[in-house]
Amino acid sequence: MTTNGGFEPVFCTVVPPHVLDKLARNDDPALSGPARRTLMRDSELRGKRRVTTEFALAAAPTAKAPSDQPLRTVYDAEHRTALPGTKVRGEGEDPGQDATVNRAFSGLGATFELFLKAYGRHSIDGDGLPLDATVHYDENYNNAFWNGEQMVFGDGDGEIFLDFTIPIDVIGHELAHGVTQYTANLTYYGQPGALNESMSDVFGALIKQYTLGQTAAEADWLIGAGLLAPSVTGKALRSMKEPGSAYDDDVLGKDPQPATMDDYVRTGRDNGGVHINSGIPNHAFYLAATQLGGHAWEKAGQIWYDVLTGGELTDRAFFTDFAKLTVKAARERYGDGGEELQAVEKAWEQVGVRIL
Amino acid sequence: MRIQVRRTGGFAGIDRHAEVDTSGRPDAQEWQSLAERAFASGRGTPPVGVPDGFSYQITVDGKTVYCADPRLTEEQRKLISRVLKEGA
Repeated sequence: MTTNGGFEPVFCTVVPPHVLDKLARNDDPALSGPARRTLMRDSELRGKRRVTTEFALAAAPTAKAPSDQPLRTVYDAEHRTALPGTKVRGEGEDPGQDATVNRAFSGLGATFELFLKAYGRHSIDGDGLPLDATVHYDENYNNAFWNGEQMVFGDGDGEIFLDFTIPIDVIGHELAHGVTQYTANLTYYGQPGALNESMSDVFGALIKQYTLGQTAAEADWLIGAGLLAPSVTGKALRSMKEPGSAYDDDVLGKDPQPATMDDYVRTGRDNGGVHINSGIPNHAFYLAATQLGGHAWEKAGQIWYDVLTGGELTDRAFFTDFAKLTVKAARERYGDGGEELQAVEKAWEQVGVRIL
Repeated sequence: MRIQVRRTGGFAGIDRHAEVDTSGRPDAQEWQSLAERAFASGRGTPPVGVPDGFSYQITVDGKTVYCADPRLTEEQRKLISRVLKEGA
């Protein structure tokens, strides 16, 4: 499937980094995607080379089947920024006094469980990768992120955001970035970046629903409910049910997410609007899941998971590429003419993403 | 010296922007020294960040450099948090 008219730029390491940097910022993902990947691979490789040289290590082949139990470690950055920080809780250890540590630990477990029970996936990489998280990162830090190896959570400033470990879907969201990294590795810019974000919102929401035992009809379909400080006018950071309706506040402004392609936002900020246009695939998932009813992780979630991990989704995929693959996955898993296929087709049609 | 900081991205995807004009400030020397050091270690183009990580633009007297979490120098981190906190 080609989205760029067959134009396939070739990059190798002789391209000077500043040229790659410039290309990586190009508005055309056909140009920026390969450059970004090259830059990322370069830094990954440099890191690996350094580690293997310094410690005389080589990757040991894993012969053993991965465990059905997670291997979790939570670290405390003690309000500084060095990662991972001080180890405060390992697997098999009892909960301590710090609620943030305990929430992070439970959230890691819930995420591990959904991927294992619903999709038979062993951890983020499918091969039992240990799950590491650092809490209390920096001071009044209003964010959480995935650094390529682990999750990092700030405490929030208490004025706009509270502790980022409060919503379990935020924990799931960060870990799902890890799953995407190990599978389709969607480039974090423009439409592939918005798909990357949407994968994290979808599986973050499913982890919350799975933990609460909710059906699609019962779920709130909010991302980050409980994260906004009491003085903020809003219910969450994003709404998959009604993108654009999560908050409208004097300080934060209004939730900028579109629900359909008619309102697609073109911007260079936020890596080309990855947290903005993710509203469109998010809403498509919500529509498919609620149309099918029951537990969203069972059918709609399975179809999305099939596409994310199936090997056909390229790292530069646009919404339409992803949508077409969900239609194909629905047909392959549940049959032609089934309600699953119809629900998926209708969902993309409603958000204005072409599937033909 | 006019120091501007713009933060984009992050889990919430909400932009923040603030600036400090050091002229006439009693601590102008300290601001300028911090800004110069933070600026010197910035990049000419936005680095590829990490998922949900903040990206920053630091503009000093009209010239802009870029940096991103979690790879900030101590000076960048200090300047960014001071400008966003104390700036207008």
